[in-house]
Amino acid sequence: MEEALELLTKYGEDAKVMAGGQSLIPLLKLRLASFPYVIDISGIAGLNRIEEKGDYLEIGALATVNEIEENYLIRERYRALHEAAGLIADPLVRNRGTIGGNISHGDPSNDLPAVMIALKAKLELSGRNGKRIIDADSFITDSFTTVLSEGEILTKILIPLSTRESGGCYIKQKKNAGDFSVAAVAVNFVLDSSERVKSAGIGLTSVGPRPIRAANAESFLEGKKVNDSVAREAATIIVSESEPSSDFYGTVVYKKKVLLSIAEEAINLSYERAMVR
Amino acid sequence: MSSLRWEDDDLAYDSSVFVRGKGHYVDDIIIPEMLHMTILRSPYARAKILSIKGGLSSRDLGAKMASVGEGAGPNQRGSIEPVFATGYVNYVGEPVAAVFADDRYRSNDLLDSIEVDYDPLKPVVTIDDALNAGPIHNGMTSNVLVESSKGTDFPDPKSPIVLEDTMENDRVSTNPIEPRGIVASYVNDILNVWVSTQSVHSIKDGLVESLKLSPDRVRVMQTDTGGAFGSKGGLYPEYVIASYASMKYGKPVKWIETRREHLSSTNPGRGVRGRVKIFAEQNGRITGVKGDVLVDAGAYGTGIASFSAGFIAMMMTGPYSIEKGYVTGRSVMTNKVPQGPYRGAGRPEASFFIERMLDLLADKLKMDPAEVRLLNMSDKPFTSPLGMKIEAARPFFEGAVRELRYREETKLTRGVGLSFFVLVPAVYPGESARIIVKDHRIKVWLGGNSHGQGHESFVRKLVNEELEVPESVVTLFRGDTGMTREGVGSWGSRSAIVGGAAIVAVCRKIRKDVEKKFGSYSPETLLSGYFDEFINEEQKMSLNSFGANLVTVEIGKLGNVRVKKCIAYYDVGRALNREMVIGQIQGGMAQGIGQTLHEGLYYDHDGQLITSSISDAGVPLAEDLPNFEVKIAEHRSALPHGAKGVGESPTIGVPPALIRAIERASGKRLSKTPVKPDDLIK
Repeated sequence: MEEALELLTKYGEDAKVMAGGQSLIPLLKLRLASFPYVIDISGIAGLNRIEEKGDYLEIGALATVNEIEENYLIRERYRALHEAAGLIADPLVRNRGTIGGNISHGDPSNDLPAVMIALKAKLELSGRNGKRIIDADSFITDSFTTVLSEGEILTKILIPLSTRESGGCYIKQKKNAGDFSVAAVAVNFVLDSSERVKSAGIGLTSVGPRPIRAANAESFLEGKKVNDSVAREAATIIVSESEPSSDFYGTVVYKKKVLLSIAEEAINLSYERAMVR
Repeated sequence: MSSLRWEDDDLAYDSSVFVRGKGHYVDDIIIPEMLHMTILRSPYARAKILSIKGGLSSRDLGAKMASVGEGAGPNQRGSIEPVFATGYVNYVGEPVAAVFADDRYRSNDLLDSIEVDYDPLKPVVTIDDALNAGPIHNGMTSNVLVESSKGTDFPDPKSPIVLEDTMENDRVSTNPIEPRGIVASYVNDILNVWVSTQSVHSIKDGLVESLKLSPDRVRVMQTDTGGAFGSKGGLYPEYVIASYASMKYGKPVKWIETRREHLSSTNPGRGVRGRVKIFAEQNGRITGVKGDVLVDAGAYGTGIASFSAGFIAMMMTGPYSIEKGYVTGRSVMTNKVPQGPYRGAGRPEASFFIERMLDLLADKLKMDPAEVRLLNMSDKPFTSPLGMKIEAARPFFEGAVRELRYREETKLTRGVGLSFFVLVPAVYPGESARIIVKDHRIKVWLGGNSHGQGHESFVRKLVNEELEVPESVVTLFRGDTGMTREGVGSWGSRSAIVGGAAIVAVCRKIRKDVEKKFGSYSPETLLSGYFDEFINEEQKMSLNSFGANLVTVEIGKLGNVRVKKCIAYYDVGRALNREMVIGQIQGGMAQGIGQTLHEGLYYDHDGQLITSSISDAGVPLAEDLPNFEVKIAEHRSALPHGAKGVGESPTIGVPPALIRAIERASGKRLSKTPVKPDDLIK
């Protein structure tokens, strides 16, 4: 790790960090980007651990999407993350692509940033001058733009421990298998003893220039029991917080209709799951 | 793999090699000293070229493209494509210059060594732009490349029912698994070309004309060809450039297309709009049809573009006996890659237009769509007012309603679509074949070349039947202009018809040779001797293949269509190889579903290609496809071997049946492919 940070500091903007290479390699292959230096961090030992430690589930940045998808703990207790991982591209990409790369690329269509928002995760960024921890929802500031400073690498993801009273899901609408989404939504609820939403986390993919936290919908839901009309109203608020643009994947109107439908479904499903626990 | 030669059996057709990963594709050819070519392409849809520094360009090679291949009309003045962009660029992806190196990646790197100064101009992107804007080419007075009409104009009758609609099929990339590619090697004054193609003769004729070469100095050989769907039947600028460069540099030159290049620079199909008006009686009988067809020809008039509009107009009555008809067709020029043939090449468009109108009529009269169709058909042969000859249609389609279980399906679900069509295969002008019998083996060449259809299976069968030899001694070789002095190509659902007829004819010629030499014929005397015969078997007959499709669908709440059933009932004539016929129909039905649900090539206002990946261009995926059901009718044609056409039937029949099923399930009139979830979401 020290060596990687040293090289990154030395070459500055001439260098690009590569983990699984599933976004970077296509960019280079299509000659859409070119860098004098590529720093391959995939061989750094110990940076792919997945374990519950203290108040957090800690995931090393080099854990592959497939390792996350197949991890027993994540499958049982962090359903939104498990489901999102299983919906990324295809198995070939999931075998190589890493959680750190998926988040640091800053692509508003990548799935895991929205999940991090819903799970209220924190990110550990390492530089030569040490480490800092930031909230995941402040990490991506615009399309393909993050708060990473020159010489910094995302090294660890810290997700607050799941409790018996929590439940979540990830719902993604794609044009085709393997494609990016038209829209996707990550939801995570923690309920109180009277089955009211104590804490809501909602992250949106592909409906804005960056992954979006649906903060108004979160506050709307907190303190409420979820029923069909609450879910419907929350979904409407979520749509009002989205900023999709018309493109190849559909018009604004279409994307908002899709988001409304999957958001309502995700709220109902997450609440159901939290109740079952 | 060094250069491929039939003498070493390298060019034998053998479909099992694909399963074993042993195919001989053009990119497998590696010849010592070989140069790799990379093309610098226009980043603008329309611009004046101010200067070009570096690379091979129009300064070195000022040749023009020859118009050859499927549906190629004569070059239209003012719109002929130059090999290298000359003075102007007219579409994104147009070849501007070429660089060469001993390695593919180094040659790609060399692109940076070329400097081109452009002065961008406002492009003409859509069919409407083309009609409204000034001509894109100097020397033309408008963007209308050709204008033709079929039938005789008639005053609108005072019919109780008059219906009109404007319908459209967006452009579709052909997207074969193997993109285009060529190796050119100039040795001892002979230009040897190995190419992934549907027709070695088109490529040869094109190179001879564009480079002004003597025909006996050019030999074109076909490598294993990983699909084409129409796009590999004619000449392309890259072929002329690679050939020229191999002669100029005295080294073999290889060019292999990337997928991005395929999407920007290989001729796509469809891109056709039709405005159609029908006149009918209250009882559902259509008395007249009028139409106006507009084809988005793209930037140059070379190839099929000038032929398409009139061809579609001619077929506008479908299999129906409509007494009056008048259809005009125009191909218009836009700043996009030139249009080419795509599986069906005009037939699917015509069928889409008339079938959509039949459904509209059924809805208007609240009649059953099958009933309306049948009552507009005849029990006798019919020549349409637009010039199409149709055999007695009604008996076949009455059978189709039963075979497709149409009545039962409409009781089960709302989302049922039915389509009837007549496929007119491209029989004219026939095809060539050659047979050499030597060393107890029978070696066969065809003028038109298989690119996935498995021609070797019908060739073996017909040779076996005609000459009574085991199929195991018969080998079909890939197209080779060194072995057939003339020939046509594989397209337009023609190969089993005309290629098969040529095989029968050349076999009978050989049989006569044996009888003449030995007094009587036996397979043993044939195989122990040496015989060599070539034939160019002309065909001018008109031939019909009728077909019908039934499709059922469900629509999800987000507007996504799930195809539940897709059933075909096609008259293929005598099925020479049943498995191959069924396989071809299944593949074509997948493409019909692709065109209807996903596929399109899209450009922004500046003429920039938006769909620059295969994922964006929307090929059909496994998850889109139902279990196909294929039923075959075998009504023999008048040819000795009884074959009819089949290759294009599914892309003609599936889109109108599928869009009708979606229309029924959604309750929304649909007039355009692809149908997007945007159109259907509640």
